[in-house]
Amino acid sequence: MADPVQAAQEDVLAALIARKKWRFHHIAFMAVGIAFLAWAADGVDLSPKELADGIPKIAKYFALMIPPKWVFADTVWQPAIETVYIAIWGNVLATLIGLPLGVLAARNITRLAPLRFFAKGTLNLLRSISELIWAIFFVAAVGLGPFPGAVALGMNYAGILGRLYAEAMENIDPGPVEAIQATGAGRIQVILFAIFPQVLPQFVTYMLYWFEVGVRSATVLGMVGAGGIGFELVTTIRLFEFRETAVVLLIILAMVTIIDLASSMIRSRIY
Amino acid sequence: MTAIDGAVAAALQLESVRRRRRLVKALGWTSLALAVLWFTANEIGLNPIALAKGRVHMWDFLTRMFPPDLSYIQFLGRATVETVQIAVWGTLLAVVFSIPLSLLAARNTTPLIRIPWFNEHWERLGLHLLVFHTTRMFLNCLRGINELIFALIFVSAVGLGPFAGVLAIALHATGMLAKFCGEEIEGVDRGQVEAMQATGASKMQVILFAVIPQAIPAFISYSIFRFDVSIRSATVLGLVGAGGLGFSLIKTLKLFRYPETATCILVIFLLVWATDWVCSKWRAKII
Amino acid sequence: MITLENVSKTYEGVSKIVALRNVSIEVKEGEFLVILGPSGAGKSTLMRCINRLVVPTGGRILLDGREVTSRRRELRAARRDIGMVFQQFNLVKRLSVLMNVLSGRLAYHTFWPSLLYRFDQDDKRIAIECLTRVNMEHKAFQRADTLSGGEQQRVAIARALAQEPKVILADEPVASLDPKIARQVLTYLKQIAGELGITVLCNLHQVEYAREYAERVVGLSQGTVVFDGPSGKLTDDILQQIYYRDPETADDRD
Ligand SMILES: Nc1ncnc2c1ncn2[C@@H]1O[C@H](COP(=O)(O)OP(=O)(O)OP(=O)(O)O)[C@@H](O)[C@H]1O
Ligand SMILES: [Mg+2]
Repeated sequence: MADPVQAAQEDVLAALIARKKWRFHHIAFMAVGIAFLAWAADGVDLSPKELADGIPKIAKYFALMIPPKWVFADTVWQPAIETVYIAIWGNVLATLIGLPLGVLAARNITRLAPLRFFAKGTLNLLRSISELIWAIFFVAAVGLGPFPGAVALGMNYAGILGRLYAEAMENIDPGPVEAIQATGAGRIQVILFAIFPQVLPQFVTYMLYWFEVGVRSATVLGMVGAGGIGFELVTTIRLFEFRETAVVLLIILAMVTIIDLASSMIRSRIY
Repeated sequence: MTAIDGAVAAALQLESVRRRRRLVKALGWTSLALAVLWFTANEIGLNPIALAKGRVHMWDFLTRMFPPDLSYIQFLGRATVETVQIAVWGTLLAVVFSIPLSLLAARNTTPLIRIPWFNEHWERLGLHLLVFHTTRMFLNCLRGINELIFALIFVSAVGLGPFAGVLAIALHATGMLAKFCGEEIEGVDRGQVEAMQATGASKMQVILFAVIPQAIPAFISYSIFRFDVSIRSATVLGLVGAGGLGFSLIKTLKLFRYPETATCILVIFLLVWATDWVCSKWRAKII
Repeated sequence: MITLENVSKTYEGVSKIVALRNVSIEVKEGEFLVILGPSGAGKSTLMRCINRLVVPTGGRILLDGREVTSRRRELRAARRDIGMVFQQFNLVKRLSVLMNVLSGRLAYHTFWPSLLYRFDQDDKRIAIECLTRVNMEHKAFQRADTLSGGEQQRVAIARALAQEPKVILADEPVASLDPKIARQVLTYLKQIAGELGITVLCNLHQVEYAREYAERVVGLSQGTVVFDGPSGKLTDDILQQIYYRDPETADDRD
């Protein structure tokens, strides 16, 4: 009559005892870890004193936001909607650029290794450079406004989505692919008839999820002049208009919440 | 034979009806999508012509960045280290905050509010899950606000420097991590939990011995993923003065020292790429 | 119809695996040939060599007197003439039954119409006729993953038939089906060979089915042909050779 709770507890005890053998090893490892963390904390000015100093300041900052100055909403709702538009187009561009690159990067589709590496490399480059850096670049090219923001978001997300698409395609069931190949179908026909139908639900899930994330990212593009609500946010913060900042933040939250809900509703309906 | 021909003809007929219906539906959705895209494109002034025209500027920008001034790397060492440090502490704090928060944010581990003689109404209104809903809402706020916005606010509250960056990343990552982990906890295998409940274990014991062990691998794996994301975020925090490589980037850009900017971008690329590689190896080892 | 001349296949990997050694078989038009052998004998490899899903490392394969090569255009034409049925059915699960059968017609078209998943009226008529042949026309518009295993395999046969092939390769078509459904599927295959004059090569590992359905049996063991003759001549002795051959003697033989 073993009591599971007791058994589990004994298991844990046994595991702890077994670990004793490694004690020295562990202590050394932990010492190095703690030293590293201490060094890192020092590097970023993180200390109990700093926290004790900083947190009240932050609390005071948020306290100054109350009550929000609601009339400011009149000024902000339009940039808020623009943010959503930027996210929509950013994601459309991301798929337009990312999907072909993803196809080229997928091991089971592109046999030519150099081409694959080229595609993988491009995706990595697009992905590593944050949308804000892309935005700086495109703002320099075409001037201020939401348009460079959408393109910038598109570039960064093309890298992210392209890689996810490639991984999804690499993980499909190879059976149907062989079956379609065996009918004498060409390469593109195989992609269309055996690969896309298998990955479609996953692709849609990715698109929706990254659209949600895209809206959140698009809220900061305005900081570098690439459109959306970020511009209002930066301005109010720089001018210490706390009560206006509060309104901007609340609008961002409302927008993000609505989009999260909508997208999870759509996602639960695809299968 | 005619029977078969009849069946084939009937099926063909049915097929054409279905195809027409599908076509109408597809056309409807496509035109709706195109309309939305067209409208939004106009609203944000998206046009390929402007982009094509802008290529002169882009080209100019690019040529002025080349060749990157590699000697500038010697000044980036400090900033690179700082970027990593921000990401490490940001993620670590998030992990620490997430452990209790994710337990509160899961329906099966959250403390229930019970009032003895008032139970039924309480539950019908969902009020016994008050802690859960409050935590989820709080986490959604953290998730919904980009780390750069937090950084901007913290910089203006506590001054320039990486400290603001760490807090910003910590808050946003807490939102992400705790929500994910809360969902993971809700999804644990009921069987093990019930087996333990059946033995008369207390709620705390059930959580410690049946729930947490199941959620730990996903939690660790997601924390590593979060670290990877944090590194990427930390590279741009400097744009608002919260430390790291982004600061060098924006500084050289504002001074029109483009070859140095190119070096910054190069270092960022290498850092992100290396982190990605390390994290994916690390995650593969844990799973 | 199909001639295999000294076909060999060695899989290069961590260790070399010789899957086929100098296999020579001649198959006549309209024949129903069963390839019998234990697991790992190389049956699948043999079939995949014929339509070049696996590239043989030695020997020649002739289809209608013409060699099957790797040149893209010729290979597509050859594959169009060879239908294939798999153990795991390999239907595209999210597409409708009809679309799965229609995908057998892909080799008759360039990719432009395929880009919009379009087919001619003729293709559709052929596809539905093929479905009727395996009595699956009533499920034409259902999604493939809603069918039972036996139904899926019948659809897969219809897909192969829609290619209007000269040859059908069936790689253990009944291995994941229960005996009743298995007999039904084999009966369909046999009918096809008889009525349409299509040559059928079928891999099996159950002796009873081979005795019941095959006209001719090829016994394969460790990559070599150890028997080739009418199913009536499958004696216990020969079965012993196919299924329990000593690896030592196999190595002595080459
Ligand atoms: N892609 C491959 N790479 C390496 N070795 C392989 C590969 N495919 C098959 N083999 C090996 O070749 C030999 C023959 O395999 P094959 O699949 O042709 O056997 P089979 O007769 O079809 O067996 P089964 O009845 O289990 O399907 C086996 O030893 C197998 O391990
Ligand atoms: Mg096999």
